[in-house]
Amino acid sequence: MPDNWTFVAAAYGLAAVVFGGYWRWLARKERDLAALRLPRPSRP
Amino acid sequence: MSTALGWLAAVGLAAGLVMGFGVAPREVTQGNVQRIMYLHVPAVWVAYLAFAVGVAGSIAYLAGRRPGADRLAHAACEVGTVFLGVNIATGAIWGKPTWGTWWTWDARLTSVAVVFVMFVAYLLLRQAIEDRERAARYAAVLSIVAALNIPLVHFSVYWWRTLHQPPSLLKPGSSTMPPEIVAALLVNFAALALLGAYFVTRRARLLAAEEEALA
Repeated sequence: MPDNWTFVAAAYGLAAVVFGGYWRWLARKERDLAALRLPRPSRP
Repeated sequence: MSTALGWLAAVGLAAGLVMGFGVAPREVTQGNVQRIMYLHVPAVWVAYLAFAVGVAGSIAYLAGRRPGADRLAHAACEVGTVFLGVNIATGAIWGKPTWGTWWTWDARLTSVAVVFVMFVAYLLLRQAIEDRERAARYAAVLSIVAALNIPLVHFSVYWWRTLHQPPSLLKPGSSTMPPEIVAALLVNFAALALLGAYFVTRRARLLAAEEEALA
């Protein structure tokens, strides 16, 4: 049977994109939350 | 703890790649496309583990109404859905060169797709209901019902005639696989389990911070 390396690369590449994407999504939500918690500058 | 888990997962994933591509031999009948199994199989084991944690959290929430248990259930079910999605997608990529089709409605594939759709519904349900307590209660019940299908997924290859092969490792008796292949599967399982634990702890912490910010 041929080795089908393209399919192997596609599977591992897809998993990297999904896990990396989830990691980035968590990081973005944490950044957004941190920005929300920053104290607002008081008016003069 | 979360950062340490993240680094451990990164080291584990690197070790998993070395095991899957360097140590495990080329499989005789399938060729190198079999190396997808070092991702496909551990991904579903981690998904099952995450759903087990999610169900435990859901039961604890229904029993004691502790928000921490609900956050753990939410995080674990979300991470389990991500891993199950990877399992289904990598299975389709393996199926095309091996079976000649990306997808077939056999018992194993259909039952796992049903579980995936139910956990996607779980996540949508949490978004759809504004009242936090009610969303947590309904979601807890749905996660328990969805997880009840997991034994059906596992035993589907025994109960029906399927294109999907029966388990090679999670079965009674010793494995017939070469030890290098078993070792590669187990190392990749450990690596993905660490990654799953890292995601669950980070997501649960984020959910707690979100609740605190909204309070």
